[in-house]
Amino acid sequence: MKLIDFFRDKSLLLLLHLVCMCVVAGFLKVTGYGKANIILIVIFWTMLLIIWFFATYLNRRKHFYQMEQILEKVDQRYLLGELLPDSFRLEDRLYREMIRKSNKSVIERIRQMEDEWKDYREYIESWVHEIKAPITSISLLCENRRHSLSAEEGKGIKEDFYTITLENQKIENYVDMALYYARSENVYKDYLIQETSLNEVVSGVLNKNRLLLIQNHVNAHVDCKDKVYTDQKWIAFILNQMIQNSVKYQRKIPVFHIYTRRETNGVILVLEDNGTGIPAEELSRIFEKGFTGSNGRNHERSTGMGLYLCQKLCDKLGIGIRAWSEYGTGTRMFLEFPISNYITREEMD
Amino acid sequence: MHIFVVEDEKTIRRELKVLLENAMYQVTAPDTFENIVCRIKEEKPDLVLLDVNLPGISGFDICMQLREQTEIPIIFLTSRTDSMDELNGILKGGDDYIAKPYQAPILLARIAAVLKRTKGMEVKETILLEKKGVQLDISKCCLIFQEKKVELTKNEMKILHLLFQHSGEFVARMDLIEYLWENQIFIDDNTLSVHMTGIRKKLNSIGVQDFIETKRGIGYRI
Repeated sequence: MKLIDFFRDKSLLLLLHLVCMCVVAGFLKVTGYGKANIILIVIFWTMLLIIWFFATYLNRRKHFYQMEQILEKVDQRYLLGELLPDSFRLEDRLYREMIRKSNKSVIERIRQMEDEWKDYREYIESWVHEIKAPITSISLLCENRRHSLSAEEGKGIKEDFYTITLENQKIENYVDMALYYARSENVYKDYLIQETSLNEVVSGVLNKNRLLLIQNHVNAHVDCKDKVYTDQKWIAFILNQMIQNSVKYQRKIPVFHIYTRRETNGVILVLEDNGTGIPAEELSRIFEKGFTGSNGRNHERSTGMGLYLCQKLCDKLGIGIRAWSEYGTGTRMFLEFPISNYITREEMD
Repeated sequence: MHIFVVEDEKTIRRELKVLLENAMYQVTAPDTFENIVCRIKEEKPDLVLLDVNLPGISGFDICMQLREQTEIPIIFLTSRTDSMDELNGILKGGDDYIAKPYQAPILLARIAAVLKRTKGMEVKETILLEKKGVQLDISKCCLIFQEKKVELTKNEMKILHLLFQHSGEFVARMDLIEYLWENQIFIDDNTLSVHMTGIRKKLNSIGVQDFIETKRGIGYRI
Protein backbone atom coordinates (compact mmCIF):
# COMPACT_ATOMS: atom_id res chain seq x y z
CA MET A 1 0.00 0.00 0.00
CA LYS A 2 1.59 3.22 -1.12
CA LEU A 3 1.15 6.47 0.75
CA ILE A 4 0.07 8.30 -2.38
CA ASP A 5 -2.64 5.71 -3.07
CA PHE A 6 -3.88 6.00 0.48
CA PHE A 7 -3.89 9.77 0.14
CA ARG A 8 -5.95 9.54 -3.01
CA ASP A 9 -8.34 7.16 -1.35
CA LYS A 10 -8.87 9.57 1.52
CA SER A 11 -8.96 12.73 -0.65
CA LEU A 12 -12.74 13.17 -0.28
CA LEU A 13 -12.50 13.10 3.50
CA LEU A 14 -9.61 15.51 3.45
CA LEU A 15 -11.59 17.78 1.17
CA LEU A 16 -14.47 17.65 3.64
CA HIS A 17 -12.11 18.67 6.44
CA LEU A 18 -10.80 21.54 4.30
CA VAL A 19 -14.32 22.76 3.61
CA CYS A 20 -15.22 22.47 7.31
CA MET A 21 -12.06 24.40 8.21
CA CYS A 22 -13.03 27.21 5.84
CA VAL A 23 -16.60 27.29 7.15
CA VAL A 24 -15.47 27.34 10.79
CA ALA A 25 -12.85 30.02 10.03
CA GLY A 26 -15.48 32.13 8.27
CA PHE A 27 -17.96 31.61 11.12
CA LEU A 28 -15.38 32.59 13.74
CA LYS A 29 -14.38 35.63 11.71
CA VAL A 30 -18.00 36.75 11.51
CA THR A 31 -18.52 36.20 15.26
CA GLY A 32 -15.54 38.50 15.90
CA TYR A 33 -12.66 36.19 16.88
CA GLY A 34 -9.13 37.47 16.34
CA LYS A 35 -7.05 36.36 13.36
CA ALA A 36 -4.43 34.72 15.56
CA ASN A 37 -7.05 32.62 17.29
CA ILE A 38 -8.47 31.40 14.03
CA ILE A 39 -5.03 30.48 12.69
CA LEU A 40 -4.27 28.63 15.92
CA ILE A 41 -7.46 26.63 15.67
CA VAL A 42 -6.81 25.77 12.03
CA ILE A 43 -3.19 24.73 12.79
CA PHE A 44 -4.34 22.45 15.64
CA TRP A 45 -7.00 21.00 13.47
CA THR A 46 -4.54 20.32 10.67
CA MET A 47 -2.05 18.75 13.08
CA LEU A 48 -4.68 16.44 14.51
CA LEU A 49 -5.77 15.60 11.00
CA ILE A 50 -2.21 14.77 9.94
CA ILE A 51 -1.65 12.59 13.01
CA TRP A 52 -4.92 10.79 12.41
CA PHE A 53 -4.07 10.39 8.73
CA PHE A 54 -0.66 8.80 9.36
CA ALA A 55 -1.87 6.70 12.23
CA THR A 56 -4.63 5.28 10.05
CA TYR A 57 -2.19 4.78 7.18
CA LEU A 58 0.26 2.83 9.34
CA ASN A 59 -2.50 0.77 10.88
CA ARG A 60 -4.00 -0.14 7.52
CA ARG A 61 -0.65 -0.85 6.02
CA LYS A 62 0.12 -3.27 8.81
CA HIS A 63 -3.24 -4.96 8.37
CA PHE A 64 -2.79 -5.51 4.65
CA TYR A 65 0.82 -6.53 5.08
CA GLN A 66 -0.35 -9.26 7.44
CA MET A 67 -2.89 -10.41 4.88
CA GLU A 68 -0.28 -10.52 2.16
CA GLN A 69 2.00 -12.53 4.38
CA ILE A 70 -0.77 -15.03 5.03
CA LEU A 71 -1.46 -15.29 1.31
CA GLU A 72 2.18 -15.96 0.61
CA LYS A 73 2.60 -18.54 3.31
CA VAL A 74 -0.43 -20.75 2.76
CA ASP A 75 -0.42 -23.06 -0.23
CA GLN A 76 -4.16 -23.11 -0.58
CA ARG A 77 -4.95 -19.45 -0.96
CA TYR A 78 -8.64 -19.98 -1.19
CA LEU A 79 -8.57 -20.55 2.57
CA LEU A 80 -7.84 -16.85 3.15
CA GLY A 81 -11.32 -16.23 4.56
CA GLU A 82 -10.53 -18.43 7.54
CA LEU A 83 -7.17 -16.88 8.18
CA LEU A 84 -7.88 -13.13 8.02
CA PRO A 85 -6.62 -11.18 11.07
CA ASP A 86 -9.25 -9.79 13.41
CA SER A 87 -10.26 -6.21 12.92
CA PHE A 88 -12.58 -3.88 14.82
CA ARG A 89 -13.57 -2.16 11.59
CA LEU A 90 -17.03 -2.84 10.32
CA GLU A 91 -15.89 -2.93 6.69
CA ASP A 92 -13.18 -5.45 7.41
CA ARG A 93 -15.63 -7.65 9.23
CA LEU A 94 -18.16 -7.48 6.41
CA TYR A 95 -15.56 -8.21 3.77
CA ARG A 96 -14.22 -11.05 5.82
CA GLU A 97 -17.62 -12.61 6.06
CA MET A 98 -18.14 -12.29 2.32
CA ILE A 99 -14.73 -13.72 1.49
CA ARG A 100 -15.42 -16.59 3.82
CA LYS A 101 -18.71 -17.35 2.08
CA SER A 102 -17.16 -17.13 -1.34
CA ASN A 103 -14.28 -19.37 -0.30
CA LYS A 104 -16.63 -21.89 1.15
CA SER A 105 -18.38 -22.29 -2.15
CA VAL A 106 -15.02 -22.63 -3.93
CA ILE A 107 -13.97 -25.31 -1.47
CA GLU A 108 -17.22 -27.17 -1.92
CA ARG A 109 -16.79 -27.04 -5.66
CA ILE A 110 -13.25 -28.32 -5.45
CA ARG A 111 -14.27 -31.12 -3.11
CA GLN A 112 -17.02 -32.10 -5.48
CA MET A 113 -14.67 -32.18 -8.43
CA GLU A 114 -12.11 -34.14 -6.46
CA ASP A 115 -14.73 -36.69 -5.60
CA GLU A 116 -15.85 -36.95 -9.18
CA TRP A 117 -12.30 -37.32 -10.35
CA LYS A 118 -11.58 -39.94 -7.72
CA ASP A 119 -14.65 -41.90 -8.73
CA TYR A 120 -13.60 -41.71 -12.34
CA ARG A 121 -10.06 -42.79 -11.52
CA GLU A 122 -11.31 -45.71 -9.48
CA TYR A 123 -13.63 -46.71 -12.26
CA ILE A 124 -10.78 -46.64 -14.77
CA GLU A 125 -8.67 -48.76 -12.45
CA SER A 126 -11.35 -51.33 -11.89
CA TRP A 127 -12.19 -51.33 -15.58
CA VAL A 128 -8.55 -52.00 -16.40
CA HIS A 129 -8.49 -54.89 -13.96
CA GLU A 130 -11.66 -56.31 -15.45
CA ILE A 131 -10.39 -56.13 -19.00
CA LYS A 132 -7.19 -57.89 -18.06
CA ALA A 133 -9.05 -61.14 -17.48
CA PRO A 134 -10.21 -61.49 -21.12
CA ILE A 135 -6.81 -60.31 -22.35
CA THR A 136 -5.22 -63.08 -20.30
CA SER A 137 -7.68 -65.63 -21.63
CA ILE A 138 -6.95 -64.69 -25.24
CA SER A 139 -3.22 -64.72 -24.65
CA LEU A 140 -3.26 -68.15 -22.99
CA LEU A 141 -5.61 -69.53 -25.58
CA CYS A 142 -3.40 -68.45 -28.48
CA GLU A 143 -0.30 -69.69 -26.73
CA ASN A 144 -1.79 -73.12 -26.11
CA ARG A 145 -3.18 -73.49 -29.63
CA ARG A 146 0.07 -72.39 -31.14
CA HIS A 147 2.05 -74.96 -29.23
CA SER A 148 -0.39 -77.78 -29.79
CA LEU A 149 0.13 -77.45 -33.54
CA SER A 150 3.20 -79.00 -35.06
CA ALA A 151 5.26 -77.04 -37.55
CA GLU A 152 3.90 -78.93 -40.56
CA GLU A 153 0.18 -79.04 -39.92
CA GLY A 154 -0.20 -75.60 -38.40
CA LYS A 155 1.52 -73.56 -41.05
CA GLY A 156 -1.10 -70.94 -41.85
CA ILE A 157 -3.03 -71.21 -38.60
CA LYS A 158 0.04 -70.47 -36.53
CA GLU A 159 0.44 -67.18 -38.34
CA ASP A 160 -3.13 -66.29 -37.42
CA PHE A 161 -2.49 -66.98 -33.76
CA TYR A 162 0.61 -64.80 -33.94
CA THR A 163 -1.46 -61.98 -35.32
CA ILE A 164 -4.13 -62.38 -32.67
CA THR A 165 -1.49 -62.45 -29.94
CA LEU A 166 0.13 -59.34 -31.37
CA GLU A 167 -3.13 -57.45 -31.56
CA ASN A 168 -3.96 -58.62 -28.07
CA GLN A 169 -0.67 -57.19 -26.88
CA LYS A 170 -1.49 -53.88 -28.49
CA ILE A 171 -4.72 -53.81 -26.53
CA GLU A 172 -2.81 -54.62 -23.38
CA ASN A 173 -0.39 -51.84 -24.07
CA TYR A 174 -3.11 -49.24 -24.60
CA VAL A 175 -4.92 -50.43 -21.50
CA ASP A 176 -1.72 -50.10 -19.50
CA MET A 177 -1.27 -46.56 -20.74
CA ALA A 178 -4.72 -45.65 -19.50
CA LEU A 179 -4.02 -47.25 -16.15
CA TYR A 180 -0.68 -45.51 -15.67
CA TYR A 181 -2.11 -42.21 -16.80
CA ALA A 182 -4.88 -42.50 -14.22
CA ARG A 183 -2.32 -43.36 -11.61
CA SER A 184 0.41 -40.94 -12.55
CA GLU A 185 -0.91 -38.24 -10.23
CA ASN A 186 -0.71 -40.53 -7.26
CA VAL A 187 2.54 -42.35 -7.81
CA TYR A 188 3.47 -41.95 -4.17
CA LYS A 189 0.60 -44.23 -3.22
CA ASP A 190 1.74 -46.99 -5.43
CA TYR A 191 5.35 -47.79 -5.46
CA LEU A 192 7.50 -50.42 -3.98
CA ILE A 193 11.12 -49.42 -4.09
CA GLN A 194 13.38 -52.41 -4.10
CA GLU A 195 16.71 -53.50 -5.40
CA THR A 196 16.05 -54.04 -9.07
CA SER A 197 18.22 -55.84 -11.54
CA LEU A 198 17.96 -53.80 -14.71
CA ASN A 199 18.96 -56.85 -16.69
CA GLU A 200 15.89 -58.68 -15.45
CA VAL A 201 13.58 -55.77 -16.21
CA VAL A 202 15.01 -55.26 -19.70
CA SER A 203 14.84 -58.97 -20.52
CA GLY A 204 11.33 -59.07 -19.17
CA VAL A 205 10.18 -56.22 -21.37
CA LEU A 206 11.92 -57.62 -24.46
CA ASN A 207 10.38 -60.98 -23.79
CA LYS A 208 6.95 -59.56 -23.31
CA ASN A 209 7.20 -57.91 -26.72
CA ARG A 210 9.05 -60.75 -28.36
CA LEU A 211 6.44 -61.48 -31.02
CA LEU A 212 6.34 -57.86 -32.10
CA LEU A 213 10.12 -57.58 -32.02
CA ILE A 214 10.73 -60.84 -33.84
CA GLN A 215 8.21 -59.88 -36.48
CA ASN A 216 10.14 -56.66 -36.98
CA HIS A 217 13.45 -58.53 -37.26
CA VAL A 218 14.92 -56.88 -34.20
CA ASN A 219 18.33 -57.85 -32.88
CA ALA A 220 18.92 -56.70 -29.34
CA HIS A 221 22.16 -56.64 -27.41
CA VAL A 222 21.62 -56.37 -23.70
CA ASP A 223 24.35 -55.60 -21.23
CA CYS A 224 22.85 -54.30 -18.00
CA LYS A 225 24.90 -55.49 -15.09
CA ASP A 226 23.97 -52.73 -12.69
CA LYS A 227 21.33 -52.78 -10.05
CA VAL A 228 19.30 -49.81 -8.91
CA TYR A 229 16.74 -49.05 -6.25
CA THR A 230 13.44 -48.33 -7.93
CA ASP A 231 9.98 -49.68 -8.62
CA GLN A 232 10.15 -52.52 -11.13
CA LYS A 233 6.64 -52.15 -12.45
CA TRP A 234 6.96 -48.48 -13.35
CA ILE A 235 10.39 -48.93 -14.89
CA ALA A 236 9.08 -51.82 -16.96
CA PHE A 237 6.24 -49.62 -18.19
CA ILE A 238 8.64 -46.80 -19.13
CA LEU A 239 11.00 -49.18 -20.92
CA ASN A 240 8.09 -50.76 -22.69
CA GLN A 241 7.02 -47.39 -24.09
CA MET A 242 10.55 -46.63 -25.22
CA ILE A 243 10.95 -49.98 -26.94
CA GLN A 244 7.58 -49.61 -28.66
CA ASN A 245 8.83 -46.30 -30.04
CA SER A 246 12.08 -47.80 -31.24
CA VAL A 247 10.15 -50.49 -33.09
CA LYS A 248 7.71 -48.02 -34.53
CA TYR A 249 10.29 -45.63 -35.94
CA GLN A 250 12.64 -48.05 -37.64
CA ARG A 251 14.61 -47.40 -40.76
CA LYS A 252 16.40 -50.61 -41.66
CA ILE A 253 16.83 -53.88 -39.79
CA PRO A 254 16.53 -52.65 -36.22
CA VAL A 255 19.41 -53.25 -33.85
CA PHE A 256 18.96 -52.25 -30.20
CA HIS A 257 21.78 -51.80 -27.78
CA ILE A 258 20.58 -51.67 -24.22
CA TYR A 259 23.28 -51.15 -21.62
CA THR A 260 23.99 -49.53 -18.30
CA ARG A 261 26.80 -47.22 -17.28
CA ARG A 262 27.82 -46.60 -13.70
CA GLU A 263 28.73 -43.00 -13.01
CA THR A 264 29.72 -41.21 -9.84
CA ASN A 265 26.25 -40.03 -8.99
CA GLY A 266 24.13 -42.79 -10.41
CA VAL A 267 23.48 -45.46 -12.97
CA ILE A 268 22.49 -44.63 -16.53
CA LEU A 269 20.46 -47.00 -18.62
CA VAL A 270 20.84 -46.40 -22.34
CA LEU A 271 18.52 -47.65 -25.05
CA GLU A 272 20.13 -47.12 -28.41
CA ASP A 273 18.44 -47.84 -31.70
CA ASN A 274 19.31 -47.33 -35.35
CA GLY A 275 15.92 -46.01 -36.35
CA THR A 276 14.80 -42.87 -38.12
CA GLY A 277 15.92 -40.61 -35.32
CA ILE A 278 14.31 -37.36 -34.31
CA PRO A 279 14.88 -34.08 -36.18
CA ALA A 280 16.93 -31.68 -34.03
CA GLU A 281 14.20 -29.05 -33.93
CA GLU A 282 11.72 -31.55 -32.52
CA LEU A 283 14.00 -33.14 -29.96
CA SER A 284 13.14 -30.72 -27.20
CA ARG A 285 9.43 -31.31 -27.62
CA ILE A 286 9.16 -35.09 -27.69
CA PHE A 287 8.12 -35.30 -24.03
CA GLU A 288 5.24 -32.89 -24.51
CA LYS A 289 1.72 -34.19 -24.25
CA GLY A 290 0.15 -34.84 -27.61
CA PHE A 291 3.31 -34.09 -29.55
CA THR A 292 3.61 -36.41 -32.49
CA GLY A 293 6.22 -34.71 -34.67
CA SER A 294 7.02 -35.48 -38.27
CA ASN A 295 7.86 -39.11 -37.38
CA GLY A 296 4.51 -39.59 -35.75
CA ARG A 297 2.71 -38.27 -38.78
CA ASN A 298 4.70 -40.21 -41.34
CA HIS A 299 4.68 -43.53 -39.53
CA GLU A 300 2.11 -45.55 -37.78
CA ARG A 301 -0.51 -43.86 -35.64
CA SER A 302 0.97 -42.02 -32.76
CA THR A 303 -0.87 -40.68 -29.76
CA GLY A 304 1.84 -38.44 -28.38
CA MET A 305 1.14 -39.90 -24.97
CA GLY A 306 3.87 -42.50 -24.52
CA LEU A 307 6.88 -40.31 -23.88
CA TYR A 308 4.79 -37.72 -22.08
CA LEU A 309 3.74 -40.39 -19.60
CA CYS A 310 7.32 -41.64 -19.35
CA GLN A 311 8.55 -38.25 -18.35
CA LYS A 312 5.75 -37.71 -15.90
CA LEU A 313 6.45 -41.03 -14.21
CA CYS A 314 10.19 -40.46 -14.24
CA ASP A 315 9.67 -37.12 -12.52
CA LYS A 316 7.66 -38.76 -9.81
CA LEU A 317 10.20 -41.53 -9.36
CA GLY A 318 13.15 -39.14 -9.32
CA ILE A 319 14.65 -40.59 -12.48
CA GLY A 320 16.13 -38.39 -15.16
CA ILE A 321 15.00 -39.04 -18.74
CA ARG A 322 16.83 -37.62 -21.75
CA ALA A 323 17.01 -38.23 -25.43
CA TRP A 324 19.80 -37.82 -27.91
CA SER A 325 19.26 -38.27 -31.57
CA GLU A 326 20.72 -37.79 -34.97
CA TYR A 327 18.15 -37.68 -37.70
CA GLY A 328 18.57 -40.62 -40.03
CA THR A 329 21.03 -42.42 -37.76
CA GLY A 330 19.28 -43.36 -34.58
CA THR A 331 18.17 -42.38 -31.13
CA ARG A 332 19.55 -42.88 -27.68
CA MET A 333 17.24 -42.67 -24.71
CA PHE A 334 18.82 -42.26 -21.30
CA LEU A 335 17.33 -43.10 -17.94
CA GLU A 336 19.37 -41.75 -15.07
CA PHE A 337 18.93 -43.46 -11.72
CA PRO A 338 20.46 -41.32 -9.02
CA ILE A 339 22.15 -43.08 -6.13
CA SER A 340 19.98 -42.18 -3.20
CA ASN A 341 21.55 -40.85 -0.08
CA TYR A 342 18.80 -42.16 2.07
CA ILE A 343 18.73 -45.67 0.73
CA THR A 344 21.83 -47.55 1.70
CA ARG A 345 22.28 -51.21 1.80
CA GLU A 346 22.80 -52.61 5.24
CA GLU A 347 25.12 -55.53 5.26
CA MET A 348 23.64 -58.48 7.05
CA ASP A 349 25.81 -60.22 9.60
CA MET B 1 4.64 -82.24 -9.64
CA HIS B 2 1.10 -81.41 -8.63
CA ILE B 3 -0.28 -77.90 -9.06
CA PHE B 4 -3.57 -76.71 -7.60
CA VAL B 5 -5.18 -73.88 -9.56
CA VAL B 6 -7.68 -71.59 -7.84
CA GLU B 7 -9.11 -69.34 -10.55
CA ASP B 8 -12.72 -68.28 -11.04
CA GLU B 9 -12.50 -67.19 -14.68
CA LYS B 10 -13.59 -70.23 -16.68
CA THR B 11 -11.54 -69.72 -19.82
CA ILE B 12 -8.39 -68.82 -17.95
CA ARG B 13 -8.84 -71.86 -15.72
CA ARG B 14 -9.22 -74.18 -18.70
CA GLU B 15 -6.28 -72.72 -20.58
CA LEU B 16 -4.06 -72.68 -17.52
CA LYS B 17 -4.84 -76.34 -17.05
CA VAL B 18 -3.89 -77.10 -20.66
CA LEU B 19 -0.74 -75.03 -20.40
CA LEU B 20 0.42 -76.65 -17.17
CA GLU B 21 -0.44 -80.14 -18.34
CA ASN B 22 1.56 -79.54 -21.51
CA ALA B 23 4.42 -78.57 -19.27
CA MET B 24 4.11 -81.99 -17.63
CA TYR B 25 2.52 -80.90 -14.37
CA GLN B 26 -0.40 -82.69 -12.77
CA VAL B 27 -3.19 -80.16 -12.37
CA THR B 28 -6.26 -79.86 -10.16
CA ALA B 29 -8.53 -76.93 -11.00
CA PRO B 30 -11.91 -76.93 -9.22
CA ASP B 31 -14.82 -74.75 -10.45
CA THR B 32 -16.28 -74.05 -7.00
CA PHE B 33 -14.53 -72.53 -4.07
CA GLU B 34 -16.41 -73.85 -1.05
CA ASN B 35 -14.11 -75.28 1.57
CA ILE B 36 -11.28 -74.58 -0.78
CA VAL B 37 -8.76 -74.51 2.06
CA CYS B 38 -9.69 -78.00 3.22
CA ARG B 39 -9.60 -79.32 -0.30
CA ILE B 40 -6.15 -77.92 -0.89
CA LYS B 41 -4.99 -79.53 2.35
CA GLU B 42 -6.44 -82.86 1.31
CA GLU B 43 -4.90 -82.76 -2.12
CA LYS B 44 -1.46 -81.78 -0.77
CA PRO B 45 -0.28 -80.15 -4.00
CA ASP B 46 3.32 -79.08 -4.52
CA LEU B 47 2.22 -75.57 -5.48
CA VAL B 48 -0.92 -73.45 -5.40
CA LEU B 49 -1.74 -70.86 -8.07
CA LEU B 50 -4.13 -68.49 -6.36
CA ASP B 51 -6.29 -65.79 -7.89
CA VAL B 52 -6.75 -62.84 -5.55
CA ASN B 53 -10.29 -61.82 -6.51
CA LEU B 54 -12.57 -64.78 -6.04
CA PRO B 55 -16.33 -64.72 -5.61
CA GLY B 56 -17.06 -64.52 -1.91
CA ILE B 57 -13.53 -64.90 -0.68
CA SER B 58 -10.23 -63.15 -1.12
CA GLY B 59 -7.16 -65.04 -2.20
CA PHE B 60 -5.26 -63.33 0.58
CA ASP B 61 -7.58 -64.94 3.15
CA ILE B 62 -7.12 -68.36 1.62
CA CYS B 63 -3.39 -67.84 1.69
CA MET B 64 -3.47 -66.86 5.36
CA GLN B 65 -5.56 -69.86 6.32
CA LEU B 66 -3.26 -72.16 4.39
CA ARG B 67 -0.21 -70.64 5.97
CA GLU B 68 -1.54 -71.33 9.45
CA GLN B 69 -1.21 -75.04 8.88
CA THR B 70 0.93 -75.73 5.85
CA GLU B 71 3.99 -74.64 3.99
CA ILE B 72 2.66 -75.27 0.48
CA PRO B 73 4.24 -72.74 -1.87
CA ILE B 74 1.73 -70.19 -3.15
CA ILE B 75 1.89 -67.98 -6.23
CA PHE B 76 -0.67 -65.21 -6.53
CA LEU B 77 -2.15 -64.51 -9.93
CA THR B 78 -4.03 -61.29 -10.15
CA SER B 79 -5.18 -58.56 -12.44
CA ARG B 80 -4.61 -55.99 -9.73
CA THR B 81 -1.25 -54.37 -9.99
CA ASP B 82 -1.03 -52.02 -7.03
CA SER B 83 2.13 -52.22 -5.06
CA MET B 84 0.02 -52.45 -1.93
CA ASP B 85 -1.54 -55.65 -3.19
CA GLU B 86 1.80 -57.05 -4.10
CA LEU B 87 3.17 -56.24 -0.66
CA ASN B 88 0.05 -57.69 0.89
CA GLY B 89 0.54 -60.89 -1.05
CA ILE B 90 4.09 -61.27 0.14
CA LEU B 91 3.22 -60.35 3.73
CA LYS B 92 0.42 -62.87 3.81
CA GLY B 93 2.93 -65.56 2.97
CA GLY B 94 2.84 -65.81 -0.82
CA ASP B 95 5.99 -66.97 -2.56
CA ASP B 96 5.52 -64.96 -5.73
CA TYR B 97 3.10 -62.52 -7.26
CA ILE B 98 2.35 -62.49 -10.97
CA ALA B 99 0.22 -59.81 -12.60
CA LYS B 100 -2.24 -60.58 -15.37
CA PRO B 101 -1.98 -60.69 -18.28
CA TYR B 102 0.93 -63.02 -17.87
CA GLN B 103 2.66 -64.73 -20.71
CA ALA B 104 2.93 -68.45 -20.70
CA PRO B 105 6.74 -68.78 -20.74
CA ILE B 106 7.10 -66.24 -17.97
CA LEU B 107 4.49 -67.97 -15.85
CA LEU B 108 6.17 -71.34 -16.35
CA ALA B 109 9.58 -69.92 -15.54
CA ARG B 110 8.36 -68.43 -12.31
CA ILE B 111 6.56 -71.59 -11.29
CA ALA B 112 9.77 -73.50 -11.90
CA ALA B 113 11.72 -70.92 -9.89
CA VAL B 114 9.39 -71.15 -6.89
CA LEU B 115 9.41 -74.95 -6.99
CA LYS B 116 13.17 -74.93 -7.18
CA ARG B 117 13.47 -72.52 -4.28
CA THR B 118 10.96 -74.17 -1.98
CA LYS B 119 11.44 -77.81 -2.81
CA GLY B 120 15.11 -77.54 -3.51
CA MET B 121 14.65 -79.55 -6.63
CA GLU B 122 15.35 -78.64 -10.14
CA VAL B 123 13.77 -80.15 -13.17
CA LYS B 124 16.52 -82.54 -14.02
CA GLU B 125 18.01 -81.70 -17.34
CA THR B 126 19.91 -84.29 -19.18
CA ILE B 127 23.41 -83.09 -19.65
CA LEU B 128 24.16 -85.31 -22.60
CA LEU B 129 21.71 -85.47 -25.49
CA GLU B 130 22.22 -87.86 -28.35
CA LYS B 131 20.86 -88.28 -31.87
CA LYS B 132 22.21 -90.36 -34.75
CA GLY B 133 25.50 -90.74 -32.92
CA VAL B 134 25.96 -87.01 -32.44
CA GLN B 135 26.15 -85.98 -28.81
CA LEU B 136 25.37 -82.57 -27.39
CA ASP B 137 27.17 -81.93 -24.11
CA ILE B 138 25.30 -79.17 -22.39
CA SER B 139 27.65 -78.68 -19.45
CA LYS B 140 30.73 -78.36 -21.65
CA CYS B 141 28.89 -76.63 -24.47
CA CYS B 142 30.19 -78.80 -27.29
CA LEU B 143 29.24 -81.36 -29.94
CA ILE B 144 30.84 -84.80 -30.00
CA PHE B 145 30.87 -87.28 -32.89
CA GLN B 146 33.08 -90.34 -32.89
CA GLU B 147 35.65 -88.91 -30.46
CA LYS B 148 35.76 -85.69 -32.43
CA LYS B 149 34.71 -82.60 -30.57
CA VAL B 150 33.77 -79.07 -31.54
CA GLU B 151 33.07 -76.11 -29.23
CA LEU B 152 29.78 -74.24 -29.58
CA THR B 153 28.85 -70.66 -28.82
CA LYS B 154 26.07 -70.02 -26.34
CA ASN B 155 23.61 -69.19 -29.13
CA GLU B 156 24.45 -72.26 -31.21
CA MET B 157 24.15 -74.37 -28.11
CA LYS B 158 20.64 -73.09 -27.36
CA ILE B 159 19.50 -73.68 -30.94
CA LEU B 160 20.78 -77.24 -30.92
CA HIS B 161 19.32 -77.83 -27.48
CA LEU B 162 15.80 -77.12 -28.71
CA LEU B 163 16.30 -79.21 -31.85
CA PHE B 164 17.60 -82.14 -29.79
CA GLN B 165 14.67 -81.85 -27.41
CA HIS B 166 12.27 -82.11 -30.33
CA SER B 167 14.27 -84.59 -32.35
CA GLY B 168 12.23 -86.29 -35.03
CA GLU B 169 9.83 -83.42 -35.54
CA PHE B 170 10.08 -80.17 -37.39
CA VAL B 171 10.70 -77.08 -35.32
CA ALA B 172 9.36 -73.91 -36.93
CA ARG B 173 11.86 -71.09 -37.34
CA MET B 174 9.51 -68.79 -35.46
CA ASP B 175 9.33 -71.20 -32.52
CA LEU B 176 13.09 -71.45 -32.54
CA ILE B 177 13.55 -67.69 -32.45
CA GLU B 178 10.93 -67.37 -29.73
CA TYR B 179 12.71 -69.98 -27.67
CA LEU B 180 15.94 -68.03 -28.03
CA TRP B 181 14.25 -64.81 -26.91
CA GLU B 182 12.91 -66.60 -23.87
CA ASN B 183 16.50 -67.49 -23.09
CA GLN B 184 17.79 -63.95 -23.36
CA ILE B 185 19.19 -64.30 -26.85
CA PHE B 186 17.52 -61.53 -28.79
CA ILE B 187 18.19 -62.27 -32.44
CA ASP B 188 16.23 -62.07 -35.67
CA ASP B 189 15.55 -64.32 -38.59
CA ASN B 190 18.69 -63.46 -40.53
CA THR B 191 20.96 -63.93 -37.57
CA LEU B 192 19.36 -67.32 -36.99
CA SER B 193 20.25 -68.29 -40.57
CA VAL B 194 23.82 -67.19 -39.94
CA HIS B 195 23.92 -69.34 -36.81
CA MET B 196 22.48 -72.31 -38.67
CA THR B 197 25.21 -71.99 -41.29
CA GLY B 198 27.75 -71.84 -38.49
CA ILE B 199 26.33 -74.96 -36.88
CA ARG B 200 26.37 -76.84 -40.19
CA LYS B 201 30.01 -75.90 -40.73
CA LYS B 202 30.89 -77.14 -37.26
CA LEU B 203 29.00 -80.37 -37.87
CA ASN B 204 30.88 -80.85 -41.13
CA SER B 205 34.16 -80.21 -39.39
CA ILE B 206 33.62 -83.24 -37.15
CA GLY B 207 32.47 -85.29 -40.07
CA VAL B 208 28.68 -85.15 -39.72
CA GLN B 209 26.81 -84.58 -42.98
CA ASP B 210 23.16 -83.64 -43.47
CA PHE B 211 22.39 -83.84 -39.78
CA ILE B 212 19.91 -80.99 -39.81
CA GLU B 213 17.10 -81.29 -42.29
CA THR B 214 15.57 -78.07 -43.61
CA LYS B 215 12.11 -77.76 -45.03
CA ARG B 216 11.46 -74.44 -46.67
CA GLY B 217 8.78 -72.40 -45.01
CA ILE B 218 8.43 -74.92 -42.21
CA GLY B 219 11.56 -75.31 -40.20
CA TYR B 220 14.34 -77.62 -39.11
CA ARG B 221 14.46 -81.22 -38.02
CA ILE B 222 17.13 -83.50 -36.67
